[in-house]
Amino acid sequence: MIQATERSILNSKIPAGPMADKWSTFKANCKLVSPANKRKHTIIVVGTGLAGGAAAASLAELGYNVLNFCIQDSPRRAHSVAAQGGINAAKNYQNDGDSVHRLFYDTIKGGDFRAREANVHRLAELSVNIIDQCVAQGVPFAREYGGTLANRSFGGAQVSRTFYARGQTGQQLLLGAYGQLMRQVDAGRVKLFPRREMLDLVQVDGVARGIICRNLVSGEIESYAADAVLVATGGYSTVFFLSTCAVNCNATAIWRCHKRGAYFANPCYTQIHPTCLPLLGESQSKLTLMSESLRNDGRVWVPKTKGDKRPPHEIPEVERDYFLERRYPAFGNLVPRDIASRAAKAICDEGRGVGATGYSVYLDFGDAIKRLGQATIKERYGNLFAMYEEITADDPYHTPMRIYPAPHYTMGGLWVDYNLMSTIPGLHVLGEANFSDHGANRLGASALMQGLSDGYFVIPYTLGDYLASNKLPKVGTDHDAFKQAVAGVKDQTARLLAVKGTKTVRDYHWELGRILWDQVGMGRNAKGLTQAISDIRALREDYWKNVKVGGTGDDLNKSLEFAGRVADFMELGELMARDALERNESCGGHFREEYQTEEGEALRNDKDFCHVAAWEYQGEGAVPVRHQEALSFEAVHLAQRSYK
Amino acid sequence: MSTKLLQSTIGRKVLAAISGLALVGFVVVHLAGNLTLLLPDGGAAFNAYAHKLASLGPLLWVARAGLLVFFVTHVLLAIGVRLDEKRARPDKYAVTASKGGPSKQTWSSRSMLVTGVVILLFVPLHVWMFTLNQGTPHATVEVHGEQVKDVYLAVVTAFKNPVKAWAYVAVMVILGFHLRHGFWSAFQSLGMLSPKCTPAIYTAGVVFAALMAVGFLILPLYMLYFGPDPETLRAVVSGP
Amino acid sequence: MKFNLKIWRQEGPELPGAFRDYTVDNIIPEMSFLEMLDALNEELIRKGEEPVAFDSDCREGICGTCGLVIDGMAHGPKLACTTCEVRMRVFEDGCTITVEPFRAKAFPVIKDLVVDRSAFDRIIGKGGYVSENTGSAPDGNAIPVPKDIAEKAMDSAACIGCGACVAACPNASASLFVSAKISQFALLPQGHAERKSRAQKMVGQMDAEGFGNCSNHAECEAACPKGISIENIARMRAEYMRSLR
Repeated sequence: MIQATERSILNSKIPAGPMADKWSTFKANCKLVSPANKRKHTIIVVGTGLAGGAAAASLAELGYNVLNFCIQDSPRRAHSVAAQGGINAAKNYQNDGDSVHRLFYDTIKGGDFRAREANVHRLAELSVNIIDQCVAQGVPFAREYGGTLANRSFGGAQVSRTFYARGQTGQQLLLGAYGQLMRQVDAGRVKLFPRREMLDLVQVDGVARGIICRNLVSGEIESYAADAVLVATGGYSTVFFLSTCAVNCNATAIWRCHKRGAYFANPCYTQIHPTCLPLLGESQSKLTLMSESLRNDGRVWVPKTKGDKRPPHEIPEVERDYFLERRYPAFGNLVPRDIASRAAKAICDEGRGVGATGYSVYLDFGDAIKRLGQATIKERYGNLFAMYEEITADDPYHTPMRIYPAPHYTMGGLWVDYNLMSTIPGLHVLGEANFSDHGANRLGASALMQGLSDGYFVIPYTLGDYLASNKLPKVGTDHDAFKQAVAGVKDQTARLLAVKGTKTVRDYHWELGRILWDQVGMGRNAKGLTQAISDIRALREDYWKNVKVGGTGDDLNKSLEFAGRVADFMELGELMARDALERNESCGGHFREEYQTEEGEALRNDKDFCHVAAWEYQGEGAVPVRHQEALSFEAVHLAQRSYK
Repeated sequence: MSTKLLQSTIGRKVLAAISGLALVGFVVVHLAGNLTLLLPDGGAAFNAYAHKLASLGPLLWVARAGLLVFFVTHVLLAIGVRLDEKRARPDKYAVTASKGGPSKQTWSSRSMLVTGVVILLFVPLHVWMFTLNQGTPHATVEVHGEQVKDVYLAVVTAFKNPVKAWAYVAVMVILGFHLRHGFWSAFQSLGMLSPKCTPAIYTAGVVFAALMAVGFLILPLYMLYFGPDPETLRAVVSGP
Repeated sequence: MKFNLKIWRQEGPELPGAFRDYTVDNIIPEMSFLEMLDALNEELIRKGEEPVAFDSDCREGICGTCGLVIDGMAHGPKLACTTCEVRMRVFEDGCTITVEPFRAKAFPVIKDLVVDRSAFDRIIGKGGYVSENTGSAPDGNAIPVPKDIAEKAMDSAACIGCGACVAACPNASASLFVSAKISQFALLPQGHAERKSRAQKMVGQMDAEGFGNCSNHAECEAACPKGISIENIARMRAEYMRSLR
């Protein structure tokens, strides 16, 4: 029997030994489930993105019975599909000095020394296997003329280690995993449940043993039991309403797990991506990301004078402020995402932003076109320019693009140990849904790497160890714990439909997003965060009194789906603000205005905050408890991040 | 293999293409022969051609049987496609429109069944009129010293009738439309096209269809307006 | 801008549907077609009416979730884009727009404009992959792939599985979708070990799902948001014939 009390201590279960040997040590010593016994275990996997899809397929290949759930109509549509740039791997095919250690170091440094070293090292080691695996699956990576794999440098890295498939790397990797998944579905080893939304986690004797879902077509509330639950439902950037995420991305699965006892780690670590299309109006449903690669040739600038409303071509060179090149001469326009985003915000806050709202900056290809010719630029970015023109009706070959940062990725997530298990025994969390590998900021081309590493290569070992180490009595969905959970879910649905107020779910989500964007966005301070907490609380209270949900609970009802998700976002938003308020330092994507260097750069406080903050839920409206997992750095030295 | 072919949509498509191309081959040969009607020799060449065919004996019957097989196969598969279409979309759209661009959807591609049915109805009539020589004058003519059926007279007589001539013209235009989509489509169905050669084959298909249609429809029009008077012709042939 | 909408409403799969007329006002030209529908739904919810059900997710043209037939064209009047990428500025102010679901027997309507495209998943399950268990792969560069082959394979692999090819095809054929996947693996050396069974099984499943036959109208290529060429269909046929040998 597993002791539920384990969760009171944050034991990261990092294997002993030198950093480079930890993962092999673990693999050599972990317990195994015999082939004959694997088929006796049922595993629930929630999510079909890179992490979930890869895990479901790999576990089925090993012989487990897998139940795989997703909210989309097909597993192929998970939001991993939208990743454009590429995937990092320490292959050193370019002979440019890359190594597992360098990828490990870059990831730790990029994360501003707020990630767990052992996890990141494992990630860097496995990056190599991921590429091999995906190539063998027939992922059409870009190639050199000799037929070998092509690489590019991405996100300011000093080596070329990014593998890519045009601007559709995420899609191609996902389709690779999806193909493997569908192969297992066809073989009957994975049972697929599309259009299902996980609404609760079921624990029996303190151990995760099942989930409750809403069938998004019939409205039925369904129960599923298993020996372990894997949650790989992605990040929570849609808490901001406007983000680069898909409109159905949500935090409901991880939030309901959190409410059931899984600690939520570093919720305030959010990544705001610098190169997105600016907001056009209140009717907008999402912010479109333009690939980061644009910064390789585009120059970011604003007018030097406040309130300069002249069109860009009328502003002479001397009156332009290329602020990234000015502030960061070494990296210029290629500084990491958090730094580029913050700089843009600071300039706009000064009143020097451009566009109708004053909240955008120019990304100018004029010089690049002069230097390389329009044909070369078209070859490199043609599809992006077309997309930009399609949306804005502006021609970026002749007038500079206007960009502004937008919420993109969330480094925070459910706390997991080295084995990817949360504080609830049996509940494993994979991919963006967990907190583990990116610290306070994620580098470009690292998200795909983490999702696939968790799904293909980590969980098959760590889950086997869990199953072999614990005796799990048989549990069916007729167990009382399931009945209670179903009743709870039904009750919430009924409550949401019963309010029949005057404001729509979208109205509330928009308001929540504005609060978070203003106070828990790129620049945060104690006053604003305190205000945000009380504003969100008030908004949440109003939500349950005055929300108007369309339709009924008995069939396909998008309005109801969103209503449940926004209810969770309200609570999560408050936790983000609280986490940001308690973290009295600036690091990566978390920038506290009170803690900055004289030049306006993030100022870490390693003495007091070199730890993971993991929050324990205490009940509705109650203040959660903040736990800490100290981060120790053996293989790298804590240093001030500098890109000057 | 053949049962597998018939069982799959792709197999049926391939068979439709093969039978279609075979029929295209026949149409080309047929036109080449018919064009001898235009020679100002009072039908000597044309009758010689007809006689040559007739003298093939059993071979002719083999060719005819083959042609019939291709024809029936082509028709049955076409009906199959149409049934598939009905079955695959039981609820119709209220509005349909082509997006243009790379689309090759045209009246001719949409009307393959209609144009096909017209040809289907036309062929037996045509055979009845000219092969079986029904409703056209019976006469003989000497070719290489043999008395043979005067097909030329039959043709000239038939096309002096404006209704028959213009009906033929209409059918040949329809055949052109059928070939316009059918020709390139056959190559696509056989998996022989790529972006490099598709435009060429597609254009070739349009040109080919136009040539065939014009080639055939010139004949009745020529006979109607410029052809010899059947009465004088008969006088000639029934001469010494 | 102001628009009159004729939208297909259908409560459930077995229930009869019909067009309903709506008017939307204060639409800005930058809005996407789906944002315009969002605005309509907000209004309907406020009025206590049932909002129009439609699928969408990424709203940037890559996930393949959205798909409407707008004025008789899958994904609307513009070439090479998904429904979510259509901006309202392409429509004339004040015009009437007809909105229908993708219609095919193999894509049954679930509700209003939402259809079930799981047939595509089942087709992929029959061979839309290289059977490669995790952990068994050789080094990435052990399998060289000529650049032009890799590029061609990528052209085919770009399919987002939206189903517009089926929706636009006068015969409701899934040939473009199936052929794109068969092509990807027919081109890449990794796919060669299974190419015979892949062609057989995927085509077999395509037929079993009740999609129509292909008449080479190439309307699918025009409707495809990723511009996937009917060259793939030709290649699929060649692959299929080769598999019979």
